[in-house]
Amino acid sequence: MNLTPEQETLGRRNFLKALAGVPAVAALGVAAATRGPLRGGRVKVAWLGVGGQGRALLGRMDPAFVDVRALCDINPTSLARADEVLAKLNQPPARHYADWKDMLAKEDIEGVVMAPPLWMHADLAVGCMEAGKHVLCEKMMAWDVPSCERMIAAAKKTGKVLEIGYQRNYNPIYQAAYEGIIKAGELGEVYHARMVWHRNGNWRRTGEPPSKDYDPSPWGYPDFEHLLNWRLYWRYSKGLLAELASHQINVANWFFGATPEYVQGTGGVYRFKDGREVQDHVYTTFEYPGGRTVTFSAIESNAFENYYEMYMGTKGTLVLRAETDAMLFPEGAGARATTVEVAGHAGGPALDASESKPASQTSTAPAASAAPLPAPGGGGETSERGQASRNEISRWAAAIRTGAPLLCGPERAIHSARACIVASEALQKNQRLKV
Amino acid sequence: MKDNEPALSSFQQVSLVVLRTLIGWHFAYEGFFKLWRPAWTREGALLGAWSSAGYLRAANGPFADVFHRLAGSSWLPALDHGVSIALLVVGLSLLLGLFTQAGCVGALALLSMFYMSQVPTHGLHETGNEGAYLFVNKNLVEAAAVVTLLAFRTGRIAGLDLLRRGPRDQRPRVEEAA
Repeated sequence: MNLTPEQETLGRRNFLKALAGVPAVAALGVAAATRGPLRGGRVKVAWLGVGGQGRALLGRMDPAFVDVRALCDINPTSLARADEVLAKLNQPPARHYADWKDMLAKEDIEGVVMAPPLWMHADLAVGCMEAGKHVLCEKMMAWDVPSCERMIAAAKKTGKVLEIGYQRNYNPIYQAAYEGIIKAGELGEVYHARMVWHRNGNWRRTGEPPSKDYDPSPWGYPDFEHLLNWRLYWRYSKGLLAELASHQINVANWFFGATPEYVQGTGGVYRFKDGREVQDHVYTTFEYPGGRTVTFSAIESNAFENYYEMYMGTKGTLVLRAETDAMLFPEGAGARATTVEVAGHAGGPALDASESKPASQTSTAPAASAAPLPAPGGGGETSERGQASRNEISRWAAAIRTGAPLLCGPERAIHSARACIVASEALQKNQRLKV
Repeated sequence: MKDNEPALSSFQQVSLVVLRTLIGWHFAYEGFFKLWRPAWTREGALLGAWSSAGYLRAANGPFADVFHRLAGSSWLPALDHGVSIALLVVGLSLLLGLFTQAGCVGALALLSMFYMSQVPTHGLHETGNEGAYLFVNKNLVEAAAVVTLLAFRTGRIAGLDLLRRGPRDQRPRVEEAA
């Protein structure tokens, strides 16, 4: 799906035209109070897991809404880098912890924003909620479905706010697309949506341990490499489906108002046979009720298509690209998405810690490079994506203070997680499985 | 007090007490709201801690320089807190009719300060205002209303001042009020 500049302009214009007359989405909390204010200042929080994605979130947080009191990570290097992110935001330094239980015992905090490796999500989130803390947990929700259910049960039992980091729900572009295009029926009947997340680079990261004698084995990682590249090993990760597909399936569930019934797929470690366990190429098909089918592909050998979601309806096609761009093409009158764009997408592979940084915002590494991809910087990001995460954190703080509704919430997040977990199983078994 | 002077009619007395109550509520809620912050709207928007810095920086009129200096002073937070408490105390005084005359004087002092910091001299419509003002704005009108309350000693019509003053004849007469 590569379009000429003219086609892109036309598509964006169509999108904006379709939104005309749609009331502005007031869901982000700008509506006036009707019954007076509720007392309370910033929400006192800790950041748990300040690796790449944790720091990216830290850099996107709005200090008006959250007061970061503490940082927790088992890697001292990550803590030092997180300090730099806080400094860039002109925030005072936060206290450091390696043990999250120690942090909860000592710190006066109300909530925890967590971005640890996937396998730890449930234990940490449940532990924090049971200690009386609200939780914003990075996606995917948890490593397996019972863990997701455990998180929901803990939230219900403790009455704490639990949100999962699917930032598209807080992205004004997606909200506008849902309100103005999907709900308004601009696409007609939609039987197919295509999800693409194509990159050209090595997911394996390189880095030095914080010290020569650093030993992460007490935390379940046999060596520093396993900690650094936890995404590549099944014990800690669910691979590309968890890190990439779960975002897009989360939106498909939202837009379709349904969840997939069956899933099948293929894939494998085809390019980077370096000892990793998770596939570097994944192709899956999600079957929704009503004959609606979503295909998802994630490859690590070509970045020509970057990443996008395309909803193909009987009346039109909606394209949401790289979380920053929306285009609408009415059937019969719109551009055909067949023109090859020779230049313009030569940006480097699109990977950051959340695996979703648009190519245009990444490094200038050559598109065909298999070199390790850059880790995120964090701090001061102003793109729609950065704004979406900023909205997400602020909205979570608002939910804590005022009970304002979450825009994703664990009940929606678990559907996406379940679909991707079953997809991973289907892919490994090479079977069509019921979700 | 002269017994042969006519007392205010009930309508006049009720009107004055209603006026006092409305002005009292206006002051009290403004003070409460400032003290209550930082706070949140029920829809989830953050209302940060209140500060008069922006208001003072936008001051115009003959005392603009003084107000501008205040905006940058280190004791602005204390001043903000003081103004908030003063608004609340004056508001409660007028609402309850307790130390009403002192409350009126306090209200006049605050309104005078607010008026002097933003004297409408250009007579044009301003963003954030629903009308155009030249010399006379709502602060000045409210101050005139407070002068009326001061003149008619409404604490003697209704309010806790009645209890404070004892069971003597507390109904204000026209000449006494004047």
